[in-house]
Amino acid sequence: MTFDRDARAALADGQLRGALRQATTLFGERRRAALATVPDWESARDRARAIKDETLAHLDRYLEEFVANAERAGARVHWARDAAEACDIIGEIAERRGARTVVKSKSMASEEIHLNAALARRGIEPVETDLGEYIVQLAGETPSHIVVPAIHKTKAQIAALFADKLGIAPSDDVATLTAAARAALRRRFAEAELGISGVNFAVAETGTILILENEGNARLTTSLPRTHVALMGIEKVIPRFADLDVFLQLLPRSGTGQVLTAYQSLLTGTKRTPEDEGPEELHIVLLDNGRSRMLASAVTRQALACIRCGACLNACPVYRQIGGHAYGSVYPGPIGAVLSPQLFGLARSAALPYASSLCGACREVCPVKIDIPALLLHLRGQVVERGAGKSRVLERLAFRAYAAVMQRPHVFEWVVGVARRLRIMPPLAAWTKWRDLRPLAPRSFREQWRAGLRDQGGADA
Amino acid sequence: MRSGDARAQILRVIRENLAQGLEPSPPRHLAAPGSSPPVPLSVPESSPPVPLSVPERGEGRRSPSPEGRGGQGVRIQHFTEQLSAVGAQWTFVRSETEAGAALARILTEAGARRVVGSDAPVVQRILQAVGNGIAIDRLEQLSRDDLFACDAGVTTAQWGIAETGTLVLESARERSRLLSLVPPIHVALLSTRCICESLGDALARVSTSSHAITFITGPSRTSDIELTLVVGVHGPQTVHVLLMEES
Repeated sequence: MTFDRDARAALADGQLRGALRQATTLFGERRRAALATVPDWESARDRARAIKDETLAHLDRYLEEFVANAERAGARVHWARDAAEACDIIGEIAERRGARTVVKSKSMASEEIHLNAALARRGIEPVETDLGEYIVQLAGETPSHIVVPAIHKTKAQIAALFADKLGIAPSDDVATLTAAARAALRRRFAEAELGISGVNFAVAETGTILILENEGNARLTTSLPRTHVALMGIEKVIPRFADLDVFLQLLPRSGTGQVLTAYQSLLTGTKRTPEDEGPEELHIVLLDNGRSRMLASAVTRQALACIRCGACLNACPVYRQIGGHAYGSVYPGPIGAVLSPQLFGLARSAALPYASSLCGACREVCPVKIDIPALLLHLRGQVVERGAGKSRVLERLAFRAYAAVMQRPHVFEWVVGVARRLRIMPPLAAWTKWRDLRPLAPRSFREQWRAGLRDQGGADA
Repeated sequence: MRSGDARAQILRVIRENLAQGLEPSPPRHLAAPGSSPPVPLSVPESSPPVPLSVPERGEGRRSPSPEGRGGQGVRIQHFTEQLSAVGAQWTFVRSETEAGAALARILTEAGARRVVGSDAPVVQRILQAVGNGIAIDRLEQLSRDDLFACDAGVTTAQWGIAETGTLVLESARERSRLLSLVPPIHVALLSTRCICESLGDALARVSTSSHAITFITGPSRTSDIELTLVVGVHGPQTVHVLLMEES
């Protein structure tokens, strides 16, 4: 299985694990400090979840309301059933607008549909402008964290990359590297005809889309080019403008441990007069790509409440050791382990529901209280039911034998007796490779009981 | 039309799956422990949600909210503390003359040579105090390249948020979208009467007739390389708030 192989490779990479440990620990600490500034964090979580539940229960109606209000404000809305359709819609807009270069701000949905490759096939050059995404794109890699895409790279690696691709003098000063990226990207912003962004929240009541960021690249992407394309999953909609309050309290604190990110852009349609600033056209692409299926049960539906903060990644003992790439999906970590099989098919991600110790740390930190462990168990059940995972003939036989033995006390005693005499340990390689199983006691409890433990114990009681 | 088909199909699949979701409740062991049943948010089943009553524009809504704890003085102090916490600078001014003098000092100290002001009349007035080798451009005459070459942008801000040290800029009031973003220095003029206590207060006050509302909290920043904080990536490195004291 590729997950097993990739996870093993990641575990052997000392530098990667060091970087992950540092990053995830720091984000965890910052998050804890930031939540202390909210008087009642728990009720904020409850309220956010209630808003998401309410929206999802009437998703059709809220989407239609959002679309009507966005179109009234001048936006054009497109619906995409799957990744290919979304890529075609965006590619056709870019061609119609004569765009050869498009600037992009961070969008997990665009990673999900592999938009960059689709644009490149049309001869359009996509330029990632978030610093982390830009590094990852220059290196020909994929993001390894939802919030910090280049978390896996050291500054020495980035310095070598920039020296090679941007022709700057090698430097391990982070400010110098950042300035080099700013200068290179300013040239791209100056020439770009189209900007593509993601969407954090879409307000049904007003048709507003909201984008959070720290660098300013999303603001440039959405205000400089003549055309702005915003790509959003259909689950991003929330009912009311005032609902933004609670989500803006939760998302930055959970994601980066900030009270608020540097910028929030609240965009409602296009500019009202020719003298106004901003793009002439705003296209909003609504992406389904498997999301509507997840509405069918209360368990699977909750994954659609996710606001992509990344807190569950930082808290997960599995992610903290192996990082994002081993998950083999654009969505890594605990939330990725439940989203990927549902969005991209169980067969392609059958190993992911098992990439967890079910410790519950993800559920603990989730700002919208998604019960990820319950979802993982649900998906494990589906993997077994549909035979989507690797065949586990031995495992099934072993459990059948175990059941047969455990139902018959005399057989159990006999088996354990034999095992004790012959010092046989159960063949649980995957389990015992990293753990010591305690040896069997020389005499079983039952034997000791029969030999008089019963009489001794009685005196104490 | 393909998009029409997609719209109809997506909405149909959503409705089918929602209807299915109502029938069999999930097995008990899979039900989320601790996740209480959805709390109704008083949205009627059949009618669309009631829109927020957005206050009309006018002097009335410019006055600070009375519900803030401790009143205006405390709120202003809270705001300046938070500005410092997020790495922004601030200067109190009592008149446009003082604002002009403060602006001239800020620009000179930063070594700015080219500055652009927004179309807000007050910005144009205070820019007149700036001279001595600093070129003043008008936004409407600037190309994208010219704008990229400017050192400072001067705008007003419509609202401040005390608890987060945030400036709120509305496109319906002023052309401030690029000036507050592209030049390395952003100077914003804000009336102390327009400081709200919380994010929620500000959301209730912004004019939703703006096609772009921008919340700005400190300078542009990134931690994308080894989590080392660098200030001034794509946006300004310096954010300086001129707080116009008005009683």
